[in-house]
Amino acid sequence: MSARHRLRSLGTFVLLNGLIPIRTQPLYLVNLLASPLSFLFFLTVVSHGRLIGFGITGGLILTMLSAGTGLQSDLTHYRHDLKFQDVVVASPVEAPVYVAGMALSELVYSIPGLAVFVVLFVVDGFATPTSVAVVVGVLLLVWGFATALAFTLATYFQDVRETFMFSPLISLVLTVLPPVYYPLSYLPGWAQFVARFSPTTYAAALVQGSVGQATVSLSTAAVDWGILGAVTAALFLVAAFKARWKEP
Amino acid sequence: MAEPAIVAEGVSKVYPGSRSGAPALDGLSLEVPRGGIYGLIGRNGAGKTTFVRIAATQLAMTSGTLRVLGQDVRTEERAIRARIACVPQESRPLYFLRTEEVVYLYLKMRGMTSADARRRTHDALEELSLLEVRKRLVSRLSGGLRRRTLCAMVLASDADVMFLDEPTTGLDPLARREVWEAVRRASREHRTILLTTHYLDEAEALSGRLALIERGQRRLEGTPAELRARVRYPYRVTLWGDVPRDQLASYGAVSEIEGGFLVFAREPEARELARWALERGLRLSMGPVSLEDIFLEVVGRSIDADAPLAEEGAEA
Repeated sequence: MSARHRLRSLGTFVLLNGLIPIRTQPLYLVNLLASPLSFLFFLTVVSHGRLIGFGITGGLILTMLSAGTGLQSDLTHYRHDLKFQDVVVASPVEAPVYVAGMALSELVYSIPGLAVFVVLFVVDGFATPTSVAVVVGVLLLVWGFATALAFTLATYFQDVRETFMFSPLISLVLTVLPPVYYPLSYLPGWAQFVARFSPTTYAAALVQGSVGQATVSLSTAAVDWGILGAVTAALFLVAAFKARWKEP
Repeated sequence: MAEPAIVAEGVSKVYPGSRSGAPALDGLSLEVPRGGIYGLIGRNGAGKTTFVRIAATQLAMTSGTLRVLGQDVRTEERAIRARIACVPQESRPLYFLRTEEVVYLYLKMRGMTSADARRRTHDALEELSLLEVRKRLVSRLSGGLRRRTLCAMVLASDADVMFLDEPTTGLDPLARREVWEAVRRASREHRTILLTTHYLDEAEALSGRLALIERGQRRLEGTPAELRARVRYPYRVTLWGDVPRDQLASYGAVSEIEGGFLVFAREPEARELARWALERGLRLSMGPVSLEDIFLEVVGRSIDADAPLAEEGAEA
């Protein structure tokens, strides 16, 4: 496939799984907004507004993470219930083009969520050239590793119902337990150690550091970027070598 | 002579995690010539879909060699995929698309330009009598129309080899014939179509050559006429009325049917039996055996009976 053909394919997947479904069910657009807005509301109320900033930065991360992990349900459904993956496999479309196209299509659903949190981010006075650059970089990495993880899992699931079980677990492990919605320092020492196993801990630390919610030294930030980048690269490698495009 | 479209030699497949360990394909060898329609027939679980999925690069084989358009399915998948298209068994179009979008977006996905995709979509929808429902959401189509939409999608493509895995399951007789005509037209464009079916009339009506698969092995292969020539009794004579069964046994193999008898016989005996029946004023019909008869003789069971070795944990 030439580069032009790949781009055409990519655009088709965005249309097919992103824009067209919204025509039949516009509520898809607010779906990804529900969880982060709930957290924001909850944090704001219980902290009397003190943690609203964490609700905003956490909301950005959760929205992008959901855009990535949401892919697993769609891919599993398409693979098992509709045999769509088999149709795509037996065609000139390569796996990375399919995954990238489907991942971009999921991003369409997160646009309202991102828009809301970006507006809040700006209104709350967080937007500086540095923080914007950090947030964009972090969100891209979060979306990248979530997409790679979702694709790999989707090729192993035998039924779409398995994704219903995994989605809350992934959400718990990657957004609720790690300090995405609060500073790492709120956790006791042992819990901080455990939280270090979640890549979103580093994502949140970088975003929180960039807007002044936490103090992050340059060297710590460099380590955080390194770990986040390494995790993303590792999950891409897992997706490239372990995901089942062709069934064994 | 052109290289065959598909060459399979000793292809075996045991599904990982299969509790019985029984192979879904057991050393299957086949040669599908380039151009035309090749039918794979067999009972549910005989291994047809497994073979199609391996040839369409969707499934890995356990052993053997398989080449599609001269390329190895193990090492040259990318080159093969560029030239094939497939309607998988039990596949369904994305329900939120309109009928025409299913075809158009599939062609765009394969890298076709918008103008080409639009033209081919129109032609394919027209060919399969889907123009009337082109703007209708797939979720509002009947099962048969959905199946036809999938056929239109693949037949509209520019693939050299098309895999149609039971494409007409669930279609009414008229719709089946429309699909047949579209498949025939596609095959006239020098494309190769590998069709699996357990409708023997379909296999006979469409296939230039066909293979009968049973328990993962090829049991018969050839043109419908060649298959007929290979069976013991190439003619069938049906007699209705009060016929003494014991007088029929000398003509061939006799089985009882509702209101009469079915006799499988060689040509001289069939002619003689027909003469004998006419002299007695019996109602009869006579003709070459059908594919169904051949299947029954070779496999010993009707094609509608499920194969006992249907592989576990996998599509048949």
